[in-house]
Amino acid sequence: MSSAAPHDVIRSAPAVDVLFLLEGTYPYVAGGVSSWVHQIVRGFPDLKFGGVFLGSRRADYGDARYQMPDNLVHLERHFLHDHASEDAQPVPFSGDADGFARMRALHETYQHRRNADAKLAQLIPELNDTGSLSERAFLHSQRAWQYVTEMYRSRCTDPSFVDYFWTVRIMHSPIWKMHRIAMRVPRARVLHTVSTGYAGFLGVLLTHAQGRPLLISEHGIYTKERKIDLFQASWVRDNRGVFEKTTGDIPYFKDLWVRFFEALGRSAYAAARHIVSLYDANRERQIADGADAARCRSIPNGIDVARFAPLRDIREWEPDGRPMPIACLIGRVVPIKDVKTFVRSMRSVVTRIPDAQGWIAGPEDEDKEYAHECRLIVASLGLTKSVKFLGFQQMTELLPKVGVVVLSSISEALPLVILEGFAAGVPCVSTDVGSCRQLIHGSGAEDEALGSAGEVVRIADPQALGNAVADLLSDARRWLAASNAGIARVEKFYTQKMMFDQYRELYDDCIAPPDAEVSAA
Amino acid sequence: MAGIGFELRRIMQKGTLTSLLSGYGYAGIIGSGPWVLSILGILLVGLLTAATVIPNFAVTQFQVSVTYLIAVSLVLTGPLQLSFTRFVADRMFEKRNDLVLPNFHATLLTVTWVSGGLGLLVVLTLFPDESVAYRLLMMAGLVLLSNIWIATVMLSGLKQHREIVVLYAVGYGISVLAALALARFNLEGLVGGFVLGQAVLLAGMLGLVVREFPAARFMSFEFFRRDQHFRSLMWIGLAYNAAIWTDKAMFWFWPPTSQLIIGPLRASLIYDLPIFLAYLSIIPGMAVFMLRLETDFVDYYDAFFDAVRSGGSLRLIERYRNGMVETARMGVFEIIKIQAIAALLVIISGGTLLVWLDISPLYLPLLQVMVIGAGLQVVLLGILNVFFYLDRRRIALILVALFFVLNLVFTTITLQLGPLWYGYGFAAALLIVCVGGLLALDRVFERLEYETFMLQRNA
Repeated sequence: MSSAAPHDVIRSAPAVDVLFLLEGTYPYVAGGVSSWVHQIVRGFPDLKFGGVFLGSRRADYGDARYQMPDNLVHLERHFLHDHASEDAQPVPFSGDADGFARMRALHETYQHRRNADAKLAQLIPELNDTGSLSERAFLHSQRAWQYVTEMYRSRCTDPSFVDYFWTVRIMHSPIWKMHRIAMRVPRARVLHTVSTGYAGFLGVLLTHAQGRPLLISEHGIYTKERKIDLFQASWVRDNRGVFEKTTGDIPYFKDLWVRFFEALGRSAYAAARHIVSLYDANRERQIADGADAARCRSIPNGIDVARFAPLRDIREWEPDGRPMPIACLIGRVVPIKDVKTFVRSMRSVVTRIPDAQGWIAGPEDEDKEYAHECRLIVASLGLTKSVKFLGFQQMTELLPKVGVVVLSSISEALPLVILEGFAAGVPCVSTDVGSCRQLIHGSGAEDEALGSAGEVVRIADPQALGNAVADLLSDARRWLAASNAGIARVEKFYTQKMMFDQYRELYDDCIAPPDAEVSAA
Repeated sequence: MAGIGFELRRIMQKGTLTSLLSGYGYAGIIGSGPWVLSILGILLVGLLTAATVIPNFAVTQFQVSVTYLIAVSLVLTGPLQLSFTRFVADRMFEKRNDLVLPNFHATLLTVTWVSGGLGLLVVLTLFPDESVAYRLLMMAGLVLLSNIWIATVMLSGLKQHREIVVLYAVGYGISVLAALALARFNLEGLVGGFVLGQAVLLAGMLGLVVREFPAARFMSFEFFRRDQHFRSLMWIGLAYNAAIWTDKAMFWFWPPTSQLIIGPLRASLIYDLPIFLAYLSIIPGMAVFMLRLETDFVDYYDAFFDAVRSGGSLRLIERYRNGMVETARMGVFEIIKIQAIAALLVIISGGTLLVWLDISPLYLPLLQVMVIGAGLQVVLLGILNVFFYLDRRRIALILVALFFVLNLVFTTITLQLGPLWYGYGFAAALLIVCVGGLLALDRVFERLEYETFMLQRNA
């Protein structure tokens, strides 16, 4: 029986083959990662899948954004920041000396960036309500108080105690919630998480609790994304006085959060049997973040080429045989996609190709303020006739009409839109983030020999982006070469079948072994 | 009793000896004014009308009647005093002053019904031999006094301490004068005069309250629908008032130590007088209690919670907590010192004092013990107030409940043991409760940061 409220168990099964651990993705948030999960579940109809969705607060999510397949036999959701309030006034108590001593040793191991998996495994049973490190002990015991004040005195460089106290409390409280979740989820043959972070930690808890292997498929690097968030975050307090702050010094609490997420990441890597990334650069990063190289591999996303291949034939063309002068940014209108740079780049494009158009095909409801700002820029640049916001569009209807797919993101992993564009014969101009360079120009001799499927520019450089787009759209021969290169590349290296084959191998390796053969080498 | 710290600090600012004395004097008046005035008022009526009233015994009957009125009304309104103060403080904090007056009216109405109902019942059944006038006046007196306690508590919450003292002076002044004027009507005249003075006192207070609080509605019973956390304050109020009167009541109704005075009302001539005098001796202790608690302690208290909330470092938080401990400790010890001096003075000069007041020297041992007991009562008051500031209502309730039980038990024992032991029950009960309270206070302060941060309900 799940620890979720009854209406938070959407589908129920006592056991599954693969249990997905989904932090902020499928099926309640639309996006690349969610689509990938959906694709995998549909790609293995013989396997029974389950899903544990971890969200922030209930109010942040609506209905499921995907039609859930039949072989998703279990789905439960939990909201880490919704807390049930305690009824009784807490009673003072001392706390267990031994448990806290071991907790102290665990923290020290994290401080020194060493492998803490064995220590953590020992402490997990103590997280129970009757254990020495129960939630109650964390929240109300005197030893917890002593530890917090000791750490504050010896380490905290921010003067505010109350902020330190609450940061530590808020940071750690999902752990007990996840422990309760872990005790009640269905039995699984393999645990599959798509990020590190809290879901990764849930994976660690589960792999030790159920004795089944943990598989990590990282799309973006969670820790890196959190660092970007935190760097920009204004909600993290910095109480240093004017003379104490040095530019370049990251405020203590932001650093504390970053180190916390790094520790979560390392725990997940240490406990996992296989660690998958989308492309080699991310694999390097995982190893740098503490993953064991022997367990790391990259399996790029693959797409169903057959779905997009027919679109090559129904492509629209200009009367004079040139490709349609339409640049299309396919993605959500959010800051990480840097739609503003795309809009500005259209100024250059329209100057060179007066009848060019720029389309933005993606939902605008995630960050309405940002979307509004983009529209203002369109107006201020005089591009209202050329730049259009289309909202969410079906790829199969959109791709035959566009001349080039544009990605101006400041951070990406392995964008499926590039691959889908290639499969439909559309070249791509992208910023040099994630694996875009390797997708467009190829990586390794064999891949590069297929040619360039577009152009790669620096981030936040509207001129360069605009010129690259205009170059491609105005040179029909070059466009054709790029289109063919893209087709060849996607058919050779990025098909869905290839991805499924590699995952089939992983799943077989994980599902087969009997219980109690845990992953850590 | 908050907010007079500002006044006190202003008075003592100059730092001269005179200003120090003025400060203590002011604190003494504020802290003790009301009840000293009532005691003096009753005694004065007795003294001034002794010659004119017939029969002479009527004076005693009057004094005992009024004493009972005060005792019963205090215990009756006990549950409401603290909890209503808290209610008003919370509303003022929320800036919902418009809710105060309607609830005040509702409380007064409730008090009037209850005291009036009880009064009517009692005068109809228990005073068969007394005149109608007397009985009506007693009932009116009970109702008026009950309302007056609520109004006093209300005005204290509004920090109108000076106004309270002035009104009491006026009210009791009128009580005395009117009693004198009506003395030819014997008992009824005395009680009537007293009741008149109280009516003026109440009217004055109501006027002040209404002036302070605007309100859209006339009456609201929201205070009575309040949620559970006021229950502890109600019990504390009831237990504290009951505990204080327990030993006196026991002496009144124990046949060997008491006489029938009027109706069912009994008095204990050997117990009552020393107790009244002993309570007069705690004026300096009350002054100290007011001064220390409302100035230095409150400063550190405010600083502590400010530092906790607004991002102070742990060292700063601890420094302020230590300050709270220091000032609380100093306050309690100063009370003890002052009352010890008062007790010593009484012990040394008590004999002479009694002769001078034309009271039998047989009262002396009792007086001495009572002075010590009354002093301890002030100490207990100080300790309780610190617990109220720290919102440790459960501990406060345990202490007053213990006081009530021990007072009851020990007084019973001393009544059995005989005259040599009279008064020791009261004093011993208070001693034990004070010691317990100090030990509890010690522990609370030691763990103050831990409890402040860690023992919050997770919501």
